[in-house]
Amino acid sequence: MGFKYKKIVLLKDTDMDKGTKEFYKIFLEALRAKNLQEEVQVVRAADIGIYKKGIVIKILPDNLIYTNLKKENIEDIIEKTIKKNKLIKELLFENEDKQLRIVLRNCGVIDPENINDYIASEGYQGLKKVLFKYNPEKVVDELKLSGLRGRGGGGFPTWMKWNFAKGVEADQKYIICNADEGDPGAYMDRSVLEGDPHSVIEGMIIAGFTIGANEGYLYIRAEYPLAIERIKIALEQAREYGLLGKKILGSGFDFDLEIRLGAGAFVCGEETALIASIEGKRGCPVPRPPYPSIKGLWGKPTVINNVETLANIPVIFNKGGKWFSGIGTENAKGTKVFALTGKVKNSSLIEVPMGITIREIVFDIGGGVIDDREIKAVQTGGPSGGVIPADYLDTKVDYENLTKLGSIMGSGGMIVMDDTDCMVDIAQFYMGFCVDESCGKCSPCRIGTYQMLGYLKKITEGKATEEDIQKLERICFATQKASLCGLGQTAPNPILSTLRYFRDEYLEHVNDKKCRAGKCIDLIQYKIDQDKCKRCSICARNCPVNAISGDFKEGLVIDQAKCIKCGKCFEVCKFNAIKRG
Amino acid sequence: MPKLTKEQLDNLMKSSQKKKNQWIKVGMSTCGIAAGADKALKVLKEEVKKRGLDVAVEQCGCAGKCFAEPLVEVAIEGMPQVTYGKVDEETAHAIIDKHVCGKRLINDHIFNVKAD
Repeated sequence: MGFKYKKIVLLKDTDMDKGTKEFYKIFLEALRAKNLQEEVQVVRAADIGIYKKGIVIKILPDNLIYTNLKKENIEDIIEKTIKKNKLIKELLFENEDKQLRIVLRNCGVIDPENINDYIASEGYQGLKKVLFKYNPEKVVDELKLSGLRGRGGGGFPTWMKWNFAKGVEADQKYIICNADEGDPGAYMDRSVLEGDPHSVIEGMIIAGFTIGANEGYLYIRAEYPLAIERIKIALEQAREYGLLGKKILGSGFDFDLEIRLGAGAFVCGEETALIASIEGKRGCPVPRPPYPSIKGLWGKPTVINNVETLANIPVIFNKGGKWFSGIGTENAKGTKVFALTGKVKNSSLIEVPMGITIREIVFDIGGGVIDDREIKAVQTGGPSGGVIPADYLDTKVDYENLTKLGSIMGSGGMIVMDDTDCMVDIAQFYMGFCVDESCGKCSPCRIGTYQMLGYLKKITEGKATEEDIQKLERICFATQKASLCGLGQTAPNPILSTLRYFRDEYLEHVNDKKCRAGKCIDLIQYKIDQDKCKRCSICARNCPVNAISGDFKEGLVIDQAKCIKCGKCFEVCKFNAIKRG
Repeated sequence: MPKLTKEQLDNLMKSSQKKKNQWIKVGMSTCGIAAGADKALKVLKEEVKKRGLDVAVEQCGCAGKCFAEPLVEVAIEGMPQVTYGKVDEETAHAIIDKHVCGKRLINDHIFNVKAD
């Protein structure tokens, strides 16, 4: 479309926020001086997708990006680029988009409550191809060619799962979509269900056709009311169009879906517990084998795939397995969606090709750490995963690389941690989660997680000895080996990985009774440095328990008996007079 | 609605692809709504109706920029396709006043510009 303006200049100081306004003013004045204000619009951007490159401008419609600008450059930019369309090579920055949206292709683009929007963006074309051009064998071959692996965390090849279930003779088979997303800080599946519900449904129909199932279930946690609502609408619309039900699209294939709600138990994300829950039983895992692909829901062959895995399927069949296998690394094809959260500037839901480095994710997409503090670690995989310390930020993301580091790919939670995060405290948080969520069926997990939490508590309270750390490790290994399901087997991971990379922090808690991050409140004390204190009393006014007494004349002191160690005084003091130790 | 055959699916795809030239999309997932997207959507719908503008106001899912929710994407003729973030009711009014009617971009709320 033709622009109203000859040029539009977007402007942003990517080093500090306050710089943007000043540069904007100078730029505007320069334009006015040359009487160009009617032809060129300058606008302050809130985010320009580039970080730590000084003052950045983007010139439209040319889509040119200049970085690290100084006031002296303005004259040149206006005379050369704006007036004469000439490039200034020294300033030019080639920006590449690090994200690649396959699963999230429609999220934020289409109206999720309108099936026509999905169909317009080539929705149900993959299904059409499969129903009329493929047989189940060909589907499995194509999926094998694509190299797609499960996105729920385990990374099991999807084609194998389908092939097992396909190979079993049975009067009924089932497809289940696992939408019981429970990792703290993870919301990939919710966004897909809310933003593009039909892609999951289409993936499930294709899976049903392949293994010979006519029924399927979407197991969604009840905490996602909007996702459930949108899936319900999508199911109705698909039925109206004959994309679900008898003789889909005029083919001979019948398939329909039902919703089952999870009641909020983390363990129900484990496939055997999930099946028990759908059957109306208590959500407890059972030993495998037999695997669900052989003997699953009501004893019938069942394929359970995660939301993200299923959302990949329509694209793979629409564009071809070969196209998909061209993205990613040798052993991990395609993309991965991550919920990037924690101490990162831009908390976001991102999709990146496999093989990207963690550094690129945190700094190029996430914009770096809040307040430019030092990054300490990145946690992936939630309570089943581990921490990846800052030294390994250049690791390429794929299933094997993350496992080697003692973490896992997981379902896609990625939490950035800085120097104010205590690694023992992190381990304690995840262990507390596992204690709450352990179903109690097997004793290694039920008792093991409880005991591990006890030792972690002892450490954070400063009451532990080095021997306790050894005992903690032994329980970790025992729980790993002896637990029945994945929840227990992986529950020690946050402890083991923090011990692996941050043992010195554990030892500091134990030997020096010190928490360097200032998180473990039993190990810290706030004091006022009388030499630095200006007696402004801002600390006393902000103390929620009135533990700070004194005035301008006498000076201020903290009553340690009253202090709850919330750290408010530490935050508000402008003179760094509050000491934490 | 009758059941689709494969030919009808293709026809529907082609006919649905003809979109309006001018539209505003509001990210209405849980994340957006929690940040106030429903309020922005209401303002945008009311203003477009009140002024009789030829602009389709629609909802969509989450575009992924959680830190900038609520997100509103605007496509208006003669203007670049822009995603505004942190859109409260005041900014929603500004989108109609300045961007749609005045054809001027709004300061401090642009989080993405789609390259042509």
